[in-house]
Amino acid sequence: MKKRILALLLAASMSVGLAACGGGGTSESPAGNSDTPSGNTPSGSGETVELTIWTYPIGKFGDYDTMQALIDEYTAANPGVSIKFELLDYTNGDTQVTSAITSGTAPDIIMEGPERLVTNWGANNLMVDLSDLWTEEATADIAATSEAVVNACQLDGKYYEYPLCMTTHCMAINYEVFEQAGALQYIDEETRTWTTDNFVKAMEAVRDSGLVAVPGIVYCGGQGGDQGTRALVNNLYSGTYTNADHTEYTANSPENVKALELIKSMVDNGSLNANAGFQAADELQQFANGTAAVTFCWNASNKAQYASQVAFTPYAMAFPSDDGEPELCGGIWGFGIFDNGDEAKIAAAKDFIRYICDDPEQSKESVQLTGFFPVRASLGNVYEGTETEADAAEFLTLMPYMGDYYNVIGGWTEQRTNWWNMLQKILTGGVDAQTAADEFVSASNAAIG
Amino acid sequence: MAQNAVATADKKPRKEKRSQFSGMSKALVRRETISAYLFLLPSLVFFIGFVVIPMIMCVVFSFQEMGLDSSATKFVGFANYIKMAQDPIFWKGFLNTVIIVVVAVPAVTAFSLWVSSAIYQMKAVTRSFFRCVFYLPVVTGTVAVTVVWKWMFNPYNGLLNQVFGTTGYDWLGNSATAIWCIILILFTTSIGQPIVLYVAALGNVDQSLVEAAQVDGATKLQVFWKIKWPQIMPTTLYILVITTINSFQCFALIQLLTSGGPNHATDTIMYYIFQMAYNNQNFGYANAMGVILAIIIAIFSAIQFKFAKTDNG
Repeated sequence: MKKRILALLLAASMSVGLAACGGGGTSESPAGNSDTPSGNTPSGSGETVELTIWTYPIGKFGDYDTMQALIDEYTAANPGVSIKFELLDYTNGDTQVTSAITSGTAPDIIMEGPERLVTNWGANNLMVDLSDLWTEEATADIAATSEAVVNACQLDGKYYEYPLCMTTHCMAINYEVFEQAGALQYIDEETRTWTTDNFVKAMEAVRDSGLVAVPGIVYCGGQGGDQGTRALVNNLYSGTYTNADHTEYTANSPENVKALELIKSMVDNGSLNANAGFQAADELQQFANGTAAVTFCWNASNKAQYASQVAFTPYAMAFPSDDGEPELCGGIWGFGIFDNGDEAKIAAAKDFIRYICDDPEQSKESVQLTGFFPVRASLGNVYEGTETEADAAEFLTLMPYMGDYYNVIGGWTEQRTNWWNMLQKILTGGVDAQTAADEFVSASNAAIG
Repeated sequence: MAQNAVATADKKPRKEKRSQFSGMSKALVRRETISAYLFLLPSLVFFIGFVVIPMIMCVVFSFQEMGLDSSATKFVGFANYIKMAQDPIFWKGFLNTVIIVVVAVPAVTAFSLWVSSAIYQMKAVTRSFFRCVFYLPVVTGTVAVTVVWKWMFNPYNGLLNQVFGTTGYDWLGNSATAIWCIILILFTTSIGQPIVLYVAALGNVDQSLVEAAQVDGATKLQVFWKIKWPQIMPTTLYILVITTINSFQCFALIQLLTSGGPNHATDTIMYYIFQMAYNNQNFGYANAMGVILAIIIAIFSAIQFKFAKTDNG
């Protein structure tokens, strides 16, 4: 009997153990080593300050050699600082960060966008207030590019992100396939825009041409690259994702429901394909392979990543809209500092961020590494006279279409899961668009808190 | 004096206390027991540190509302359990988990036994070859395995659709087929260890009993069920329990292939726990589900112990 009880206890504990590992919010500061020698900020003298930086794959900030060179250059000039770095990916990065936070081993510096740095970690009191980095000069310079960037980096009067670059997320077409299918007539090549009606006609032309296995794939197998499907839905009939105050989700508005119904009808007639097993990376691979004629997840970074694989011209386009005036999702990337309670580390981290973002020489190079565009107006066109000037110009054309940066709304992480589940319900589950969109809004609004 | 002498005489041939089981003196038994516990101590420390304490923490956290901001943690009693009872996705996950267990465990056990019966009497080299073949998916990294399977299931240029001439069919994106794809992959990655164990267990079956039965005219089927099966029952019980727990905890395949979709068709309790903890950062609720999952596994294991118990097991 005792043996049996012990065996049952063992069996039960094996499953409980894993769940418990995910829990355990800690009352300690998120970053580990409080016993690290804290003497010197880069400007001082004495013992070395050890910093840890984690970066998501934002252009070449996701490349090992580039990061190593960048850090070597900084530490050579600042011998009082040593820096370790880790490269995250968008599939597992959030899990790694959450694990690190709960286990008290969060990095000192992290590079990503306001939806994580501000709305999630900042809102949970895990980040350092970077208001001192936001000098009057810096704020005015960034506001000159976009007031939305300044607003996105703060919450309740505290700045949790210091931005470096920005871009608009767009889509892309296989230019040669569109040309051969006679679909180029439906796009405005000068402005890189198209209307919803012309998008429908173009996709039907591609379908009828039989040049590709599938005209386009609406991926909804996970949250990866969901900005693409959100922008597609919102633009088709000029819907919005949230209200203007970013306090409620509005994906069940008549405009959005009409868009969802249109996509469903295109899936049904074969001019689009819905794939509930694909995320953006899978769809991008099919686009790069030439299997699909369009991708809904495109930007300069993706273009650089797939450049060596494509045997055609990937042509960046705005998302189709009924009035021909697209509103594209913006992307803002910069740095935040986890509050590890060690003032020397925090000071050193701020100095490193200043070097990357504000140093007259380095800031241009830093932006070039991302492949995106500077948030500081004073930097101008950082690609002028470089090898990538032509590529950058392609995406620069789309910058004026940047729409509302709604990613700062609460409940962001929950809504991402809700979004692709909603698409699955509509596109592969046969659920009515209005019903599924209502469920999405109800669940996502409840998560705003 | 005489009385004392009698008393002393009574005590002199005093019997040494002996264990009723081993026949050893109790002092010796005590010494051996202490030694045994000392040998167990290192494992016990790990067991307590990494299993028992997290288990207790899990139960405690399940009564709290807790997210990333630890200062906002508060006691909520059974609120997480009540929420769970009213959560349709949890129940969908529960149903999928049961389907995976009910299908995968018997299939893995039966197939492993069949393969092992076929190969255990082969030459050592041949037997090792087959063991390697079936064990390969176990030692291959889960990510590598799923990448290959994902390619095979690709609707546009995957191997399966090329073979069956069903280009465009979305195996993983279809609610009707997704969970069966997961079970198939789970099956291939689960059979390695049971086969190795069964081959060893069958090799240890007492041949004199087998020969005696054959001399008495027993058929092959009778030899298997009456002689071999009872002797490999402890191995079967172990395989059943381990495979059940692995099936309940099927996570990586789902995370890498379907993310629980489409339409929650492959959501399991284990995956939902991950979703809640790491995506939604709702640790209290995730822990509550962990407690319930543990209870479910314990119940399944109890049933297996009940039906697969042996006289010596």
